[in-house]
Amino acid sequence: MGRDRFAKQSLGYLYPRIKQSRILMVGAGGIGCELLKNLVLTGFGEIHIVDLDTIDLSNLNRQFLFRQEHIKKSKALVAKESAAKFNPHIKLEAHHANIKDPQFNIEWFQSFALIFNALDNLDARRHVNKMCLAADVALIESGTTGFNGQVQPIIKGKTECYDCSTKEVPKSFPVCTIRSTPSQPIHCIVWAKSYLFTELFGTSEEETPEFDHSEDSENAKEIENLRQESQALNSIRQSMGSDDLARKVFDKVFKDDINRLRSMEDMWKTRKQPNALDFDGVSKGASGTKPSVAQHDQKAWTVAENFTVFCDSLRRLSTRLQTSQARSEADIAAPVLIFDKDDEDTLDFVAASANLRSIVFGIESKSKFDIKQMAGNIIPAIATTNAITASLCVMQAFKVMRGDLDKAKMVFLERSAARVINSDTLKPPNPNCNVCGVMSSTLILDPDRATLKDLVEDILKTQLGYGDEFSINNEVGTLYDPDLDDNLSKKFSDLGVKADSFLTVIDDDEDDPRVNLSLAILEKTLPADTKAVQLPKKLDIARKPKDAPAPLTNGDTNGHVTASPVGTKRKRSLEEPESGLQQNNKRGKIHMPSKAIGFQDDDLVIADDSNDGAIVIDD
Amino acid sequence: MAERATTPPILQGPTAKEKKYDRQLRLWAASGQAALETAKVLLLNSGPGVVGVETLKNLILPGVGSFTIVDEANVSELDLGVNFFLEESSLGRWRAEETRRFLQELNPEVRINALEGSIDAFADHPRRLEQYSLILLVGPTRNARVLDRICQHADKSSIPLFYIHCQGFFSHFSVQLPAQFPIVDTHPDPASTQDLRLLNPWPELLEFLEKKTGNLGLLSDHDHGHVPYLLILLHFLNVWNASHDSQFPANYSEKKEFKALVESGARRNNSEGGEENFDEAAAAVLKSLNPHSISSGLREVFEADACQNLRPTSANFWIIANAIQKFQTSHNGILPLPGALPDMKAQSSDYIQLQNIYKAKARSDLAEVTRTIRSSEQELSRRLSIEQAEIEAFCKGAQFIKVIHGRPIRVAKCTAEIDWSDRAKALSQELQNPDSLLPIYFAFLALDRYQDDIDRIRTLRQPANDQQFNDILTGRVVSGAVPPLPTFAESAHFSTPAVDPEHDPKPWPRFDTPEARTAFDDVVKELDRADWGELHNIAALTGGMVAQEVIKVITKQYVPVDNSCVFDGIASKTAVFKV
Repeated sequence: MGRDRFAKQSLGYLYPRIKQSRILMVGAGGIGCELLKNLVLTGFGEIHIVDLDTIDLSNLNRQFLFRQEHIKKSKALVAKESAAKFNPHIKLEAHHANIKDPQFNIEWFQSFALIFNALDNLDARRHVNKMCLAADVALIESGTTGFNGQVQPIIKGKTECYDCSTKEVPKSFPVCTIRSTPSQPIHCIVWAKSYLFTELFGTSEEETPEFDHSEDSENAKEIENLRQESQALNSIRQSMGSDDLARKVFDKVFKDDINRLRSMEDMWKTRKQPNALDFDGVSKGASGTKPSVAQHDQKAWTVAENFTVFCDSLRRLSTRLQTSQARSEADIAAPVLIFDKDDEDTLDFVAASANLRSIVFGIESKSKFDIKQMAGNIIPAIATTNAITASLCVMQAFKVMRGDLDKAKMVFLERSAARVINSDTLKPPNPNCNVCGVMSSTLILDPDRATLKDLVEDILKTQLGYGDEFSINNEVGTLYDPDLDDNLSKKFSDLGVKADSFLTVIDDDEDDPRVNLSLAILEKTLPADTKAVQLPKKLDIARKPKDAPAPLTNGDTNGHVTASPVGTKRKRSLEEPESGLQQNNKRGKIHMPSKAIGFQDDDLVIADDSNDGAIVIDD
Repeated sequence: MAERATTPPILQGPTAKEKKYDRQLRLWAASGQAALETAKVLLLNSGPGVVGVETLKNLILPGVGSFTIVDEANVSELDLGVNFFLEESSLGRWRAEETRRFLQELNPEVRINALEGSIDAFADHPRRLEQYSLILLVGPTRNARVLDRICQHADKSSIPLFYIHCQGFFSHFSVQLPAQFPIVDTHPDPASTQDLRLLNPWPELLEFLEKKTGNLGLLSDHDHGHVPYLLILLHFLNVWNASHDSQFPANYSEKKEFKALVESGARRNNSEGGEENFDEAAAAVLKSLNPHSISSGLREVFEADACQNLRPTSANFWIIANAIQKFQTSHNGILPLPGALPDMKAQSSDYIQLQNIYKAKARSDLAEVTRTIRSSEQELSRRLSIEQAEIEAFCKGAQFIKVIHGRPIRVAKCTAEIDWSDRAKALSQELQNPDSLLPIYFAFLALDRYQDDIDRIRTLRQPANDQQFNDILTGRVVSGAVPPLPTFAESAHFSTPAVDPEHDPKPWPRFDTPEARTAFDDVVKELDRADWGELHNIAALTGGMVAQEVIKVITKQYVPVDNSCVFDGIASKTAVFKV
């Protein structure tokens, strides 16, 4: 009897197709480990795994493909090795990389029969959603938080896409984002709280006896660098109490580590390079600043103020640590400090360090008050929810592969003992969706000479007949709108627009606006006597539907998934057809709504504390 | 912000174990984790047994203390295709030991044993069950007698038992809990737990109210806009009572009127055209002005004999329940104050003071309950006194306490009919619903009886060789020995319309509707097509669901399924029934 008899028997004609399918799993964390097991045992022929994360101790309560000895190794690689043992007949390929890397382009996405999202952050989810739509490959999206879970099949043109309903801002971050490439204030806050503070005052993982320091040649270089970096920082603990502690820490994390990062040229091809700070220079500028500035918690501090609070809180903390070390007996574990948002000393240190890092990376600084809120809580994650959610993913995959879209469902998992699992029929695409309710095209441009003006004038106004009221956006923000014409003469490369990235043209015509136009950039050297920006074929762009009924969102069927006023949000987006991202940029606000689903499982998951009786103080 | 006068105490950092379990400690706290770590789970595995192993995986990862696996089968090629915790080299070896080996890798901190012998041994010597704190029994068991005896003994010893089926696209599990299974920490929605006691204020709160709102009209705009909303509500309740004969707004229209009164108090001559704290107050009118009442779950606890008549051996739960009942009797039916405050617009010093007033009241209520408990303990000459934390948790969650009444698992006996007793009628009604998933439950019951039949035949014939013996053990019976499952099910009791449940002494739920019969037949056909096989994915899902409920039962937190759950993998649907 063959090992696949049961699968053959129950899956019928689908089984041979499954065996031949090449599929992609993005994320090898909580859901990913369970999903990989299920995919392997279901018999999918070739499975690719992408994850840029490394394994952390706190993953082991659920990510069962990982063991103690795998800590700090690549999740993708270890998951592949662990799963391969259990079915040698399946081809597994692991990529320890960011799914947003250019190597994973549309063509690569097109090479898969089906794609599974097992991710922990909104940004990557959105990216894969967009890529799947562009590549026209079905996507099974999933997420969990605590006892709750959710699975959503997404098929271009037939179902809602991930962005058809309003999503909340992410609160979890991959390690590399935190340690090497921060781009938002929250990244720096997490860095200050969960890395810098922990290494200096807490129980760093290097110190815990269970850890194995055995090197693994397969580990990515950057992970090894980061590990060495942590160790070096940790060794500064020996200087605790000495007069030059502040200088040592400062030089380490705001100068030496930054210079090392700067030297990694690949990292900065698409990002702004950080600039190291000089202790003496900053110190001079801060000579007149008093530590009592730490009490001004409503305003964003200057470099000098941050520096002063940094030095002062570091002194307070190291004194505390030393006092307790002196008191503690030799036979008990060395005392440590724990970050507590209500402990002023720790909060001051985290706030000042986070802001200094923001300054290094050219990110907006935050007030101590805001940082206190953002450095909040952690999202729970357990094995059982992941097991159930991952299995539901595979079941939805069967339906999608069979083409049974009317049987495919949006499935919710809830804590209630009455239902366990709830499902809902899949909704058609939201015609007002800024991601899938769009016209898509490739935009061919000559990187050496194409400017934004070429797109605005030649293509949009002349060729496609746009009026004056429209904007051009990419994932970073708005590149052009009627009030923002400074970029017109700039080349796309100077605007950070890269090959295989997307531009969105939003028509703001009052009477009869076109649907959004999504342009995938294709770089090509074009003959000098032709236009520098071209469309591959003629486009006929539809107009936005009028009086479209407000589409339903998942929030309507599952209150805990989406923050309450979904309907209101949608209404607003009907009135101002902008992407949520843009709204955030314009208002300079980071929304931190209460618990939401779909961003768990990182080792650096944080969420705001929704029930700690926070004091609301007027500003 | 004032300088800290004293250095706060240094906290010891989390241990490696706390770090490893960090993400789950946020769900069930240290008390739940401790309960898991001392639990001893027994898995009585049969059939392909994947669902049992998958359940264990989900219990080993979060650190349940110890496991014992009983499984007679040897590893076959088929097992390799569905069971993740086996490898090529396991072929032909004892399955319990092989899976134990791979499961152990998941968590070195848990103890896993593979126990030699068959499940029958537990049926014959049921006292052997008593060392375990929870039993997982995977069906169909070898025969109805084995199942019956194990279930009965677990019931008698108050050991929670899960009976699990998984075949093809369908699965089922039933939970047999002790006759009285109280859950203190049900983790209610935080929004529903706020108990502000606005209709039963106490002197300290009223004193603060007077201080803050005594001359509301004279406050500066800033101060007026920062009066905490609950003080606004209390203030206007006084205003209301003065003109309403001291009767609080009771019904919807009165509350609406009261809301308008609150809204009229806001100052609107500012740029916002109103005040946020007054908006908060108005929004809270409907939910915050309900008279204090005791939930039905708690009432049930108070009325239970175990609460009324304490014994030296009473569980802590009843000792505390008794004290809380005494508390509410002497306080006009009002329970100890939980003490938590919601967020609100306020000046921080006011908010902190308000928080302290609520906390102080909660502490004094708790102290009173504790005093009652201590005197009960003395009266009963109990050696160990109940920990303060346990009393506090009870006081905080009192309104949301739930008692589940465990029910025995229905066993398809060949010799006697099942006694559905009081459930027959409700289940008959459920079967009237054309979309009901209840037929899945009956199909698995039919499968149990079918297995029982096969077992009778097996005992009449000696297996010809080891392979055949193994096939019989794992349920993979060579065809021909018994009629196919659908034929069997049709001829069995299951699909024949039962006698009228009103008059039959042992009534059966009725399959009167063609839909229910068709649904039943379809599930049976699908189970037959699966040929005793498990689909890994369905087993993984069921293992996840079962483990989730096991954790609830062991930690005595959250409300577990009461008492049967079926899963339809074709429709991706679950349903929970009380049978």
